[in-house]
Amino acid sequence: MKQHLGRQSGVQNVEVSLLDGKVDITPKEDGRIDPAQLLKATYDSGVTVAEMDITARGKIMKEASGGLAFQVAPNQSFACMPNDLSKSSESLSGTPATVTVRGQLFKKPAGKKKAQPASQLQLTILQIQKRE
Amino acid sequence: MNKLAYLVLLLASVAQAQIKHIEMRVEGMT
Repeated sequence: MKQHLGRQSGVQNVEVSLLDGKVDITPKEDGRIDPAQLLKATYDSGVTVAEMDITARGKIMKEASGGLAFQVAPNQSFACMPNDLSKSSESLSGTPATVTVRGQLFKKPAGKKKAQPASQLQLTILQIQKRE
Repeated sequence: MNKLAYLVLLLASVAQAQIKHIEMRVEGMT
């Protein structure tokens, strides 16, 4: 799995802990990496992803539907699941301010042994680490 | 002029945006 993930586009380094099933992925300097592709690659290597968290710097945007999105690249953004932290950052939408957040992009539904991840990942903001 | 400055700021902040770290917890690893 480590080699398989290491071959994915934008991956600088992969660390796997067999003890607790933790996989740490460091993106390359430009940060151009596709979490959905990594999820698929992980499933393809024969293991089940229980959850995926990211730390990223980006901008809070307002979607046409009225919901919030977190933009990490000009052509890459994740819809934000509404919670207290997303509400508190709503005032930043449409401003040039960047924030560094830690959030959950995927969590396996409870009770299911194996679940294919959704193609459209949604971000649940867990922590706002920095506002710039 | 103000619009141009705002656009430059907006583009600069998007250019700085990036994913810094990804962490997964997986099951079934041998």
